[in-house]
Amino acid sequence: MTRSSPFSVRGRHALLIVKDERDLAIVRRQLGRLGMSVSETAPEQLSPPNVPADVIVLDADSIPIKSDPASALKCDAPVIALIGTETPSRLKWLLDLQPASFLVKPLRSAGLYTALVVAFDCAQRRSEEAAHIERLEMRIRSRRVVLAAVLQLMRSHALSEADAFTLLRQTAMRHRTTIEQLSADMVTLGGMPNRSSRMA
Amino acid sequence: MTKPSIPLGLVFSRSGSYAMMGREMEKSALMAVEEVNQSEEFDFTFTPHLRDPGGIVAAYHTACDDLIREHGVEHIVGCYTSASRKQVIPIVERTERLLWHPARYEGFESSDNVIYVGAAPNHTVVPLVRHMLENIAGDVFCAGSNYVWTWETNRVLREIVTNAGGRILAERLLELGETAVDHIVREIIERKPPAVFNTLVGQSSYAFMRALHQASRRAGLSTPVLSCSLCEPELKLIGSAAAVGCITSSAYFESIEAPENRAFVARWKSRHGTGSHVSVDGQSTYVCVMLLARAIRRAGSADVTAVRRAAANHRYDSPQGPIWVDPDNNHCFLTPRLARSMPGCQFKICWEADAPVRPDPYLSNLDLASIGGKLDPRGDAVAKRPTHLRVVK
Repeated sequence: MTRSSPFSVRGRHALLIVKDERDLAIVRRQLGRLGMSVSETAPEQLSPPNVPADVIVLDADSIPIKSDPASALKCDAPVIALIGTETPSRLKWLLDLQPASFLVKPLRSAGLYTALVVAFDCAQRRSEEAAHIERLEMRIRSRRVVLAAVLQLMRSHALSEADAFTLLRQTAMRHRTTIEQLSADMVTLGGMPNRSSRMA
Repeated sequence: MTKPSIPLGLVFSRSGSYAMMGREMEKSALMAVEEVNQSEEFDFTFTPHLRDPGGIVAAYHTACDDLIREHGVEHIVGCYTSASRKQVIPIVERTERLLWHPARYEGFESSDNVIYVGAAPNHTVVPLVRHMLENIAGDVFCAGSNYVWTWETNRVLREIVTNAGGRILAERLLELGETAVDHIVREIIERKPPAVFNTLVGQSSYAFMRALHQASRRAGLSTPVLSCSLCEPELKLIGSAAAVGCITSSAYFESIEAPENRAFVARWKSRHGTGSHVSVDGQSTYVCVMLLARAIRRAGSADVTAVRRAAANHRYDSPQGPIWVDPDNNHCFLTPRLARSMPGCQFKICWEADAPVRPDPYLSNLDLASIGGKLDPRGDAVAKRPTHLRVVK
């Protein structure tokens, strides 16, 4: 449940895929001020990073458009794109990487902290949303099991559908489990599980 | 033989809503310029070009643009508010000039074209909150002006206080310049918080201190008030009794007992009268000009790149003590201090750091675990809920 604050960036690791020496110097210096560590990869030889990166700073102009976004970029770390060329062809390539934030070149020291905070927050929200979707999908998948459990209760206790579902929900709450899990147990056991047999 | 002259931009608002501070800072800058010009230690003189943006944010841009284009100014000392500094930064960055910035500010900035001589947040709010947690209370009532300094200072306060198990009892904000403070004072008297954190500025702060003092006296209360910005000339404006007893965090107090400061205060009083007082921002403006002069002397030219390099790590025994520029972030190593305001518009220093403290404008080295460890941990009665369940009502 604890959410790491996107504002505290100290100790995080950045992978820099930047060619221009001046831009590199500014990024290195500013990340150093913020207490972050960096590793660097030349744009021509993209490979998965040795150290897992918390964020990737990518000079979008340094990689040919026709190339597939390399494997190093297809990881969970959010991407901050440095943008020089604003042509739609370049931006389309960039959108495939789903950049979490961006900075327009030439770089200044101001702006990088904001880009990092937005990127970390964005990554956090994305992973929370993915987990949320996963939970929803699981509930959709267990619809059949819940239906079977409701039917079972309607038959065995002679209840209406609404009352059977209420009983199921209340029992799940009492057992400190989910409706889906209780339903699965009921279908397996052929009836309500014994309360003491459940783990909290 | 006449010495070569170097044009110096001085941009302070002598008029407008914070004219009092602008005038104090300009007076200090001119005092430093005069001392440099008369000193044999420097083989150049400064020609000051004064500009008064009148507290209007956009006018700072115009003033600096004119100084740079028309007068060939490489170095500007000035600005007081963050809004004005942010107007000037794009011009000095584009034209590769240096802004020497005297005032403390809320941090989270690090331009290569600004030398930040005022205190960073790790110099001001952090020691003050530590002192509060260790010696006064864990719970605090906040009263502040509704702008960036208060927002960010209160955010740091909240982070440190809540991490130590304390509480922000309330956060009451007033628009800049607002002097209707009675509702806040009434709430403080009713709720009796163990401490009040005051980030009000200017007239709002003076009105608040007076009203709180009166109401507290009537109610027989004595609530500690903490501030990161109060200075000697303001104590005078608040009025004697109401101005007493405020715990203040600052890199400079007029009462610093060091020969450099005693001499500085004596020179100041001989220029501006024995009844006048030096402020932290005034002293810091003086230090800006001196750091610049010393860096030019060391570099052998006023060229910005050379001066920036020469200023780095070059120690100056200033009125506020040893100070030098940290080339990592262009902010200054300086000595944080805490003091209690006394009768006679003075502060009695009750704590100071053992040595100048490295500036940390992004608070990236703030170690929350090390602050407020003496607070009793709040017995948290809320049992941890399983995360795969939600409450159905």
